[in-house]
Amino acid sequence: MGCCVETVDLTHRFSEAEPALDRVRLQVTEGSIYGFLGPNGAGKTTTLRLILGLLKKQRGEIYVFGRPFTETRVETLRRLGSMIESPSIYAHLTAAENLQILQRVYRCPKRRVEEVLEVVGLARTGRKRAGQFSLGMKQRLGLALALLHAPTLLVLDEPTNGLDPNGILEMRGLLRTLNREHGVTILVSSHLLSEVEKLVTHVGIINHGRLLFQGTLAELLSRRRANASVVFETDDDAKAELVIRGLALSPNAVPGGVAIRGLEREQVAGVNRALVESGVGVFQIGRVESDLEKIFLDMVGG
Amino acid sequence: MNFVNSFRAEWLKRRRSLASWLVVVGAFFTPSIITASRIKNHAALAPLYAADDFWRKLWNQSWESMEVFLLPIGIILATGLIAQIEYKNNTWKQLHTTPQSYTTVYAAKLLVVLLMLVQVFALFNVGVYLSAVIPSALFAGVPYPAAPIPFDDFWAANVNFFVDCLPIVALQYLLSLHFRNFLVPVGAGFALWFLGVGLLSWEYSYLFPYNHGAINFLTATGHFDGRKVPFRVEHLALVYAAAFTAAGWLLYVTKREKG
Repeated sequence: MGCCVETVDLTHRFSEAEPALDRVRLQVTEGSIYGFLGPNGAGKTTTLRLILGLLKKQRGEIYVFGRPFTETRVETLRRLGSMIESPSIYAHLTAAENLQILQRVYRCPKRRVEEVLEVVGLARTGRKRAGQFSLGMKQRLGLALALLHAPTLLVLDEPTNGLDPNGILEMRGLLRTLNREHGVTILVSSHLLSEVEKLVTHVGIINHGRLLFQGTLAELLSRRRANASVVFETDDDAKAELVIRGLALSPNAVPGGVAIRGLEREQVAGVNRALVESGVGVFQIGRVESDLEKIFLDMVGG
Repeated sequence: MNFVNSFRAEWLKRRRSLASWLVVVGAFFTPSIITASRIKNHAALAPLYAADDFWRKLWNQSWESMEVFLLPIGIILATGLIAQIEYKNNTWKQLHTTPQSYTTVYAAKLLVVLLMLVQVFALFNVGVYLSAVIPSALFAGVPYPAAPIPFDDFWAANVNFFVDCLPIVALQYLLSLHFRNFLVPVGAGFALWFLGVGLLSWEYSYLFPYNHGAINFLTATGHFDGRKVPFRVEHLALVYAAAFTAAGWLLYVTKREKG
């Protein structure tokens, strides 16, 4: 699989101070759902705006569909749908009229307007003006605008902002369907890993303008396993700590026992045996894995 | 075809907008006042309607406030409002991620403003005609105007006045696209218009781009010595309009942040 979006040493400054982006090398694989994660102000939106040409590129290269974006802008945008920050909606027009504007620009069939309104659940909004929509409805209309011309790449910046839990589930389902059934590559940003971990196939984590991690979700999960701890619940935690230190391991006292990080499966029995032989009663042994949010926060220094 | 589609998309955006209402209100404002005044004074209208220069007088009366006052202000407001459709709705970012060149977007929006100006002229002409015929339709003592309508003269005046407006349209368009705050282009436009009115008595007032319409009208009605102007003001208006349009385009396409 080739790269649908690739940035090479993308660097951007808004002032002479610290760069907003520092040599970012983003690689969004074709057919993937790429979760672009980072806290607010990390550089996600700046990266996406540069990829879409909304900001003038200063240093580095941007390739979309394998070609330099600046040289093929119009052609590239024909195959790309986007929603950056809050949805761009003409408040004085209806949902259908908002879509008709883009239908004229993209020259796509008129029936697409009704189709995408149906897909996002806004088919029955009739003559209601978009300015009177709830935040969730606006977000869905924004997605409809991005989907109208059946793009092969979707760039979405925090698309679940303002959605209720049910709306988030619906949005997730919709994006998954687009990816699986229509082969749409999706680049989606979020500041919450928990929000996208059930959706994405690939992850990029950015903070202070630097890409800290990039890889598949499976690679991120293997980090989770590596960071897992085994907790021994004993009748004498202080003595248990001494025994474990004697085995050249580094225990930590945790509520309800003693934890050992990065302990291999085979070592668990050995530690248990040593504790029992030293007269420490072991009531329970359990594995505690850091959740992805914890790994994410560790990476971004949260 | 790209441009036609872009224009059609831009045209749709003005539907139900404040700018589109301004076109109707601005075009019928003066004719409505004239109509109301004639209805009120209908008893004295018979000699006026029988006069040979009926249409010329009505035309001048209608254009007086329009050319000097309402049209420049209307252009300043409407052009600003058209650009504000994107700023207010935060839609520049959506527009600039559609497969259109920046030049196409710039030209399509400008054409919308120009066509709205054509609408104003067309509706205003209709309004002038209605302000003449409504009193005669309502009151038996007021005859239909005896003089024939001087279509050729009116057409030529319309074209000249339209060309005179182009520098204002182009400069206001430049300002409106460049500044997010609606008050900047509107404030600058009003200041320039005031300055133009103040300069009207100046020998070289015809050089000021906001004055061409007023000079044209005042010359036609004998209130300005047209011999002071060494060339046709319409030609200078076209030069200004071309220069402002080019400058506006350059500022627009080289803007660092596009939404």
